[in-house]
Amino acid sequence: MINEKIKISTKNLNVFYGSKQALFDISINLVQNKVTALIGPSGCGKSTFIRCLNRMNDVIDICKVEGSIKIDGDEINKKDLDVNLIREKVGMVFQKPNPFPKSIYDNIAYGPRIHGLAENREDLDNIVEHSLKKAALWDEVKDRLTQPGTGLSGGQQQRLCIARTISINPDVILMDEPCSALDPIATAKIEELIDELKEIYTIVIVTHSMSQAARVSQDTGFFHLGKILEFNSTEKIFKNPDNKLTQDYITGRFG
Amino acid sequence: MNKPSHIVKSYEEQLKLLEETIIKMGTKAEEQLSMSIDAFAKKDLELARKIIAEDEVIDAYENSIEHQVVNLIALRQPMGIDLRETVTALKISSDLERIGDLSKNIAKKTMLINKNLSVNLINSFNLLGNKVKKQLKSVIDSYLERSKNFAKNVWESDEQADILTNQCMEDVIKYLKEDEQNLQNGAQLLFIAKNLERIGDHTTNIAEQVYFLVTGEYLEGDRPKNTESEML
Repeated sequence: MINEKIKISTKNLNVFYGSKQALFDISINLVQNKVTALIGPSGCGKSTFIRCLNRMNDVIDICKVEGSIKIDGDEINKKDLDVNLIREKVGMVFQKPNPFPKSIYDNIAYGPRIHGLAENREDLDNIVEHSLKKAALWDEVKDRLTQPGTGLSGGQQQRLCIARTISINPDVILMDEPCSALDPIATAKIEELIDELKEIYTIVIVTHSMSQAARVSQDTGFFHLGKILEFNSTEKIFKNPDNKLTQDYITGRFG
Repeated sequence: MNKPSHIVKSYEEQLKLLEETIIKMGTKAEEQLSMSIDAFAKKDLELARKIIAEDEVIDAYENSIEHQVVNLIALRQPMGIDLRETVTALKISSDLERIGDLSKNIAKKTMLINKNLSVNLINSFNLLGNKVKKQLKSVIDSYLERSKNFAKNVWESDEQADILTNQCMEDVIKYLKEDEQNLQNGAQLLFIAKNLERIGDHTTNIAEQVYFLVTGEYLEGDRPKNTESEML
């Protein structure tokens, strides 16, 4: 399609945990301002894959990542790179909301403070307000910013974590099953948020819910035993997938 | 793509039931059409009455399919091949319902014909009737076999039904010209020819659905058509 810019590109990406290979030759392109869903049975490598995109696998000693990962054309899978710079650019939201044991305000202000994004208190106030608004949480918490973030409901906590991710102004947001611990209303709010956020960010979401992948994403990749078996438009994947295993998986026929 | 069974058995059973209902409905529509052609050819009024009464069987199948499809969408959120099975079932059932209606109309018009018709005229209608009957049978087979080629054949062969319709129309016009007294019957005959042609069109709609069901793609381009009959 015209005007599509590749944001992230991986080539022959292989990941090993010790002697066990977790990913095999993953070569895909993730398009800017699109939501890409990654689906596949547990243990297929989708979380391992997104953890490569902000070098989260670095913290696992036995993990070895080979191959190329380019963001905006720059290789990020090389030794002499400051991983903090990548994580500033590529934020992440996890399965279970994990706010810091701090106030709502400080949950958001923490990142901008350590990354030196605010000159003064007013700057910081603005970032906090802007991030909470972007995460559709501002109206619900604006009168209790000093209260602990852990006191919010699960869905609110997850939006707080999204606001925290947004606060350092990343380009890419990775989400690893962000709704699996949420009720349908909280899920709908996150999905609406994903829809809005893609105007600004490039989003990669790992999900076990086929209907969620269908609802929120434009592209979908199907992982199986560490390989990517099909990467296609979401419409194609859920209407008429090319690969037989994709079809068996999405229709619940997986043997 | 051949497909293994669903992990959830009750889902598999629901999809199977939907398919079986379509086949039963298709078989019933074939039967109604076949009887309406016979009733016309033999001027069998009792048979015509039976066709009119039994149309409700087809309507009941349509209701059942609509109900099943809405439930599947609401409760199972079908994807991929299951989605195509579900959506095409709904569309095929509405074409079959129309075929049932048109067969009933042929029976009604048959009852209004008050004079014996010439063998030539009846033969002309038989040719057309048997052609669309064959198309309906083939398209139901294509659904049963999940055969895109069968479906495409039906889609392409409807042109012949159009040609036979034109022949019928010409014969009816000749019949009208023979005697002013023929006006009443001639009008019914034109309706019957038109109804048969419409049934042919519905079989091509079903063929398109079967093609989409099997391939996930739409039959592209214009169907070969003989458009003269559409002028009438």
